[in-house]
Amino acid sequence: MDRSRGALRIVEVDAEVAPAAASAVSHDSPHRVRIIDGTLACLARHGTAKTTVDDIARESGVSRATVYRAFPGGRDEILGAVVDTEAARLFSALGVRLGTADGLAEALVGGIVEASVRLRDHSALHFLVEHEPGIILGHLAFADSDRLLATASRFTAPFLARWMPPAEAERVAEWAARIVLSYAISPSDSTDLCDPVQAGRIVDTFMLPGIDALHSAGVRLIDISPHLRGHPTFDDSAPTSIS
Amino acid sequence: MEDAHQRIVEATYACVARRGVAKTTVEDVAREAGVSRATVYRAFPGGRDELINATVAWATLDFFGRLYHRIEGAASLEEVMERGIMFAHRSIIEHEVLQRVMQTEPDKLLPILTVESNRIREGIAAVLAPYLSERGLAAGVDLDDAADFLARMVLSYISAPGRWDLDDPDQVARLVRSELLAGVVVANRVP
Repeated sequence: MDRSRGALRIVEVDAEVAPAAASAVSHDSPHRVRIIDGTLACLARHGTAKTTVDDIARESGVSRATVYRAFPGGRDEILGAVVDTEAARLFSALGVRLGTADGLAEALVGGIVEASVRLRDHSALHFLVEHEPGIILGHLAFADSDRLLATASRFTAPFLARWMPPAEAERVAEWAARIVLSYAISPSDSTDLCDPVQAGRIVDTFMLPGIDALHSAGVRLIDISPHLRGHPTFDDSAPTSIS
Repeated sequence: MEDAHQRIVEATYACVARRGVAKTTVEDVAREAGVSRATVYRAFPGGRDELINATVAWATLDFFGRLYHRIEGAASLEEVMERGIMFAHRSIIEHEVLQRVMQTEPDKLLPILTVESNRIREGIAAVLAPYLSERGLAAGVDLDDAADFLARMVLSYISAPGRWDLDDPDQVARLVRSELLAGVVVANRVP
């Protein structure tokens, strides 16, 4: 899709540049975070089309000049920074949940709940889905959805590699991202993934047996991602523990 | 009347295939279908928007018709899912009109597809449910939950395959037996 028509774009982020994305929050200007949060408030009320630099300055409690000093590229640069920052915030929160989990099941449930709650409570995102659907929905369909899944799994897979080979961790991370997205886009009457008990049911019923089955096909899976073969931190002799 | 309805929907599809969504007018559709504007509005009082929605719904139905044909005679739940996933994946990739409109006018199509995807999900769940109950579910698994979950996942894979190569029967067989069915059915039959 033609991304230049929507002001928001999801930057394809490599694992290598992930720390840079996270540090976008504490960039040189002390006002950046404030302006980004002000912009989020504007987006939640008016969307991208009706949000001007003046609105952003007013909402953030800074002058127009300060906004342009922090973001010389103006509105488009701010909107880009908003997307990067929100992605960095989501992935750092996921990192904390996954990194502190004591077992695979806890990591999966924690990650799914964290992501689902953040998507549910993101009022700017909801306004855009409702009023400027092309901007957001484009990322959820076909090739762009593939990119989004790839980004999500590249960020979260390293945390799952504590319990499985890296190639398998990438598939499981992608799978979890699919589950979160599916229920976020089309909520279900019977399953609310923001609820740890219900997310736990999905993980126990569908994911853990599936991961066991993936694991028993481990050799072939590593073939699919040859660049990951011989990952130095993975001990091939270690059994998969799924609790 | 039923015939006119069908002819108008097919005419809309032909117009969209040639010119895209934005440039298709009720007049174009009437000319293409060989009926008057009034006939189009009698059949579709909502005008252009209703025509486009009806055309997407028609294309979905057409897809399901071909899908049923493709899975007919499959010997097992696994085979139903393998055939269905491979067929659906190819259908999306090879659907020239869908691909072109997604490229050039995503804003026009995406909101409709998002609504339509709920219907497609329910359709997939309805296809799978009888095979699931015949096969036998793992302890504690609810039929409706399992069918809904599988339909969500199938929809996700066919529209965005991610790390899976859905043209490779071996990979599809593995996908079906791991991320899709491993927790759902009684025991995983070895292929």
